[in-house]
Amino acid sequence: MEMFLMALCLSLFGVAASALAFGAATRGEPAPREREAGLKTAPALKAALSTPRFFGEDLAPVDMERRVPLEVLLLQIERHIRLEQAAAESFLHDPSPESLHSRTMSPLVH
Amino acid sequence: MTDVQPELLRGLAKEDAAGVETLASRVHLKSGAVLFQLGAEADTVYLVQRGRIALTLPVQVAGREEDVLVEERQAGQTVGWSALIPPHRFTLKATALVDTEVIGLARSALLDYFAANPAAGLAVIRNLAAVIGQRLQVFQAMWLREMQRVIDRRTA
Repeated sequence: MEMFLMALCLSLFGVAASALAFGAATRGEPAPREREAGLKTAPALKAALSTPRFFGEDLAPVDMERRVPLEVLLLQIERHIRLEQAAAESFLHDPSPESLHSRTMSPLVH
Repeated sequence: MTDVQPELLRGLAKEDAAGVETLASRVHLKSGAVLFQLGAEADTVYLVQRGRIALTLPVQVAGREEDVLVEERQAGQTVGWSALIPPHRFTLKATALVDTEVIGLARSALLDYFAANPAAGLAVIRNLAAVIGQRLQVFQAMWLREMQRVIDRRTA
């Protein structure tokens, strides 16, 4: 009887220790539903994970664009238009295929 | 009328220039003030006397509608020539970039004056054709440059 009780106690202790160890190991991971919700709120991350990546080449320009603040982007657009107008006026002053397609310094093009 | 001769009144006889001056109304705009909105009824053409006017169009940028500069007009230049061209609706928004003064000429008064003084009407319409032609040629060249880039990207 004593032997049986001792074996039972040891078994219960083992189960409890295993449960604690499992809990500690899985604490950092969100549940599958939580993970799904997280992906819904971060479409860029979802797209990044679902898109095959080869050395991350395709993702780099997208990230760069998203990091440009709106005010900076608007200034770039304005500068682009001014440069293009100047180039067009220069073409009208001296019309030629070269002056029509002269190179621009606009950051929106390069 | 202005320190800089308005492009629209070039070549007018002195008496005609003085006659047009009697039709003018002066408008003072503080920096940021809107002279006219895109789509508004255009019944007055403006000559910039002092300052600068930005002509803008709405563009969707990052999901937001933003006014993007299309052209800038300064002293002597004409703004709002849609007032003289059917269907008489402004196709751009005009905003003062700095404290600006413009002279407004109402279409109906101008056309009445031209009917009575055809030589003045011819001179103004020729000047107007030059302003519109220049705009057309600049934008045609800009469009062609953009087309070339599209073609270059497609064939790269």
